[in-house]
Amino acid sequence: MFSTLVTVIIGALLFVLYRQLIIEQQYQVTQYLESETQRYQHLARTVDRRSFAAQIRAADPQTALIAWRNSYDMVGALSFMPEDMPMLPQTRDFPILTGGPDKLHILTGGLVMTRYGPVLIATRTDNLATLIDKFISAAATAVMLTIILTLALGYLFSKAILRRLVQYNRLSEQIERGHYDTRLPLSWRQDEFDMLALQFNKVLDILENNLMAVRGATDNIAHDLRTPLSHIRIGLEELASKSTDEVSEDCAILTEELDHCLATFDAMLSLTRIEEGQQTLDLQKLSLAQLCTDLLEMADAVAESNGQTLSLSLLSDHIIHGDKYLLFQALYNLVDNAMKYSGQGARIDIIQSGPQVQICDNGPGIPDESKERVFERLVRLDPSRHLQGTGLGLSMVKAILSRHNAKINLTDNHPGLVVTIKF
Amino acid sequence: MKILLVEDDATTIDYIVKGFLEQGHNIETASDGHQGLLQATSSQYDLLILDRMLPQLDGLKLLAALRATGDQTPVLILSALAHVDERVKGLRAGGDDYMTKPFAFSELLVRAEKLMQRGQSAPVTTDLVVGGLKMELLTRNVTLDGQDLMLQPKEFQLLKYLMEHANQVISRTLLFEAVWDYHFDPRTNVIDVHIAKLRRKFEELGHGELIETVRGAGYRLRQRH
Repeated sequence: MFSTLVTVIIGALLFVLYRQLIIEQQYQVTQYLESETQRYQHLARTVDRRSFAAQIRAADPQTALIAWRNSYDMVGALSFMPEDMPMLPQTRDFPILTGGPDKLHILTGGLVMTRYGPVLIATRTDNLATLIDKFISAAATAVMLTIILTLALGYLFSKAILRRLVQYNRLSEQIERGHYDTRLPLSWRQDEFDMLALQFNKVLDILENNLMAVRGATDNIAHDLRTPLSHIRIGLEELASKSTDEVSEDCAILTEELDHCLATFDAMLSLTRIEEGQQTLDLQKLSLAQLCTDLLEMADAVAESNGQTLSLSLLSDHIIHGDKYLLFQALYNLVDNAMKYSGQGARIDIIQSGPQVQICDNGPGIPDESKERVFERLVRLDPSRHLQGTGLGLSMVKAILSRHNAKINLTDNHPGLVVTIKF
Repeated sequence: MKILLVEDDATTIDYIVKGFLEQGHNIETASDGHQGLLQATSSQYDLLILDRMLPQLDGLKLLAALRATGDQTPVLILSALAHVDERVKGLRAGGDDYMTKPFAFSELLVRAEKLMQRGQSAPVTTDLVVGGLKMELLTRNVTLDGQDLMLQPKEFQLLKYLMEHANQVISRTLLFEAVWDYHFDPRTNVIDVHIAKLRRKFEELGHGELIETVRGAGYRLRQRH
């Protein structure tokens, strides 16, 4: 395709050049014949018949061939007068034979009427013909060379592209077979292929990350669900040998265990939905002050029963667009955590000031090295996991807040923890 | 009360049918969508309990078809699709309530009875009486055996709900929904804490046993005989 185009363009250029050359040459021939015509007409008017004949004989046969048919013989370079010659400026090509090395010559010429009769004026154009021949063969060679060259280049070029495509294909097959750490190679050229490879690698990075997260989560789920499920299994086996009055109590305990399993499972699913953006938010105008007031109202009794003090300071209200239920769930989760982990007699403050909500406690806090880790799925800093919980609370909080473009930050309260949320 | 249950799982059918029969309700079943729609349109029911994933005709389509005929029978959707989005979808399609599987029969019963009562013009009650417990809804006065009980607003709402469903086991989810308009499973002891406070006030009057904890299920307000 490319080579055809190049050939056509070069061909067109050569053709234009050829036309120009011919037109130029013909113009020169015409000019020459014109000036000779005028010269001989002028001669015929000014000199007598003998000098005219002498002038004609003296003409240089290399440049112009002049022939004049006298009343009895031919004068000039030609031994005959070709027939059907037109009157100048019309011309005609005609061949002549000479005794020289190049025996056949092509001439262009025509007749001029003078006082002494018609004079043939012609000029050799076989130089021109040779030139044109040479030009055509040169042009043909050039076109051929171009075609060969472009074909060769095109072949090499497409071969290089194909080689990279074949390579990409082979690597993606490798990924398909489960080698998720495979990446496409990048070259120094930074061309479109490298862009493609770069983008492809980026997608692979994200997918691999997600895959790892899911694998990690499934392992944790397996652990978190297996333990209560095996309790239930044991309980059911034992139930068969229990006396009737113990059965109902045991069934209730087993039901609670099962409900806990289901809750973990549900939380896992809805966390995934929120994180992956599958759940559409029910956005509405919310007053942060109102949200925090509701928070206090719900949590107050719990704090009281723990012997904790829960206080609320509202400095200046702020209106946001958000999903009321999800945000309340997230904030409640944080307050609930504070109440759960800060211990008896602790003090918990909810401070709302403009777009910022802080939840501060004076409990044991979280060591710096764990502050990021607590947001990961199923991570619980309490290794014995003796407090009820799914281990998904903070992951959920983070997912909900990030869907609302809010930032959450954990800092030290010396002692205790400050959770800062900025909308 | 006459109930139609459209459900394809035999175990679930047995469980629900047995429960409603014990409570003295009349219940019929249909095990696929077409059959369900046919029964729902051909006779009059007080409540439809509808599974979402049914053979032949999806539960939501059945519901849409039913509503298109102008039938306003209350519909309770029962589904394994637990997510909020699914719940919203079910309610938008014309469902009146949505419960996810697995479920406790006690909760299904409370929800079902609430929906069935809606259709009837119940006399406006101003007083609730359960045994020696008396609640005046207008003045918000609560007395136990003639002695005043001082309740906070949330405690009042919780007790009102328990009194409306005396002798029934009420799950934490139901109590939560009744008292707060934030619908989420708190996985916290909020409800337990409020109930504990309420119970302490009963204990002060010597009747802590009236509010009974049912392990694995919820709470029940007992009526003394």
